[in-house]
Amino acid sequence: MRDAFVKTLLEAAKTNSEIVLITGDLGFGVLDEFQRELPNQFINSGINEQTMMSLAAGYASTGKIVFVYSIANFPTLRCLEQIRNDVCLMDNPVTIVSVGSGYSYGSHGYSHHALEDIAVMRAMPNMEIFSPADPFEAEEITKIIIQLRRPSFLRLGKSNEPAIHLTKPALIFGNAAELSEGKCGTLIFTGSVGSIAKNAAQILENQGFPVSVASMPFISNIDLAYLEQAVSKGPIITIEEHSYRGGFGSAILEFINKNNLKARIALVAADQKDLSQIGDQDFLRSQNGISEAAVVNKFLSLIAN
Amino acid sequence: MNAQLSFTDPAKLALEARFEILKMTHLARASHVASALSVVDILSVLYAGAANIRPSNINESDRDIVILSKGHSAAALYSVLALQNFFPMEWLSNYSQNNAPLGGHVTSKGVPGVELSTGSLGHGLPYGLGIALARKRDGINGKVIVVMSDGECDEGTVWESAMVANHHKLNNLVVIIDRNRIQSLAFTEETLQLEPLDLKWNSFGWETEVISGHVYAEISKSIVTTEGPKCIIAETTKGKGVDFMENSVLWHYRPPSNDELNLANEQLKNKYA
Repeated sequence: MRDAFVKTLLEAAKTNSEIVLITGDLGFGVLDEFQRELPNQFINSGINEQTMMSLAAGYASTGKIVFVYSIANFPTLRCLEQIRNDVCLMDNPVTIVSVGSGYSYGSHGYSHHALEDIAVMRAMPNMEIFSPADPFEAEEITKIIIQLRRPSFLRLGKSNEPAIHLTKPALIFGNAAELSEGKCGTLIFTGSVGSIAKNAAQILENQGFPVSVASMPFISNIDLAYLEQAVSKGPIITIEEHSYRGGFGSAILEFINKNNLKARIALVAADQKDLSQIGDQDFLRSQNGISEAAVVNKFLSLIAN
Repeated sequence: MNAQLSFTDPAKLALEARFEILKMTHLARASHVASALSVVDILSVLYAGAANIRPSNINESDRDIVILSKGHSAAALYSVLALQNFFPMEWLSNYSQNNAPLGGHVTSKGVPGVELSTGSLGHGLPYGLGIALARKRDGINGKVIVVMSDGECDEGTVWESAMVANHHKLNNLVVIIDRNRIQSLAFTEETLQLEPLDLKWNSFGWETEVISGHVYAEISKSIVTTEGPKCIIAETTKGKGVDFMENSVLWHYRPPSNDELNLANEQLKNKYA
């Protein structure tokens, strides 16, 4: 996903000198080509996320489209007030790009797990939140962000994620991207947990419950029409690689409540029982309740009632 | 409304601004009157012509950018801007009140001449740094002048920014520190030692100059850069101009009562007018 993002940004930046990429000294082997080809549109600020974020806001205030690149919680939690005051309040077109969503940096430990960032960024006024499912979506969303020129948060996985879409989807800002259709209910996921949703759907189909599967990368702009048809069809399971507290599932619950929809819905998200548990991404996902089995069990229990 | 500057003499501008600051903080029962009185001479010099910023050029890309990073001194900035015709004087009268255009800390939205909303310390310099970097890349003239408090130098972002500015040799960036030696609860040197402040900035690669922050010619003369960023440490007196407010921690917070307002106005008239 990060490579799709950088490649798309580089192509756009070659013909638009207003696009600037600022890194907090991260992106080894990832940003080299951008730096080499467009040195005047690249800044390595150093290891100083708070200064980097205000700097990015000031830079953007001069009419530039600024992308700030770092990993995990460094460009979000570490510099939150700079985001709140200098990006959101001043409405500067800064896009915060965080690589390593959820347990992507699993064995690096909890300092590198990005599990609260959606919740925190959702609380920021004026902030658009983008959570692509695969490299196809990352590419399309990068283009959308450049067009929008808004305070934005782009939450990326790491690298070598499988393509979830079979072909490049025509993403429309604010719309869900449905992968497959089934009549018994809907699995809605955000970010790089698409394989879990697809595999769970296969298991459910084998048990006689065909369900729809959809990616929702636009967390700050939830697709009302899609949710209306989903709640009328059957149970909904939301799936995310993020804490239960305030994340994508919470956003859907709030949205359902605000729009007076009646839904049978359950959340699959990280329960964070042991913050210090060591392991790789797949292991930590399953240990924290993000698994095909969890999706299937929650769906079956909802449809039985 | 008149788009010209009313005052080209910073002394006259500062005196009128002091009257306004006292009135505003009295009416609003607002804090930080002494912080405003300490920085008002610096702002008066900047907006009386030392900085290339006036009501007619606030949207020009090569104007000088002035950022008041010590956002709690809002009354000083608002007074100076109103007196210089950036917005109507009437706006000062309901400062900090419900639905007023001017908030208790520096607010930029809808307020001509204010570049950045501030109030949390340590934001103005890195923000200004971003503008200075962008201008340097594009070859756009115009200085970025960030006015900070001395207590603000406790913030890590100040020193991170000091490193970044020097690294990029930003000769379009000027910091002016309102060195009144008092912060929220006590004197700066009792709270967290800043001295030797000039040597600290100098060791970060900044050209550094110590001046009197109440002597107009010194302030005006200091705002020039050479090869890199410049830090001006302006020695000031908190509460300057009103003897019972001067150099006192109490007046960081206390608004003047009616009697105190009258007494303060008398003193200003006797001293300056």
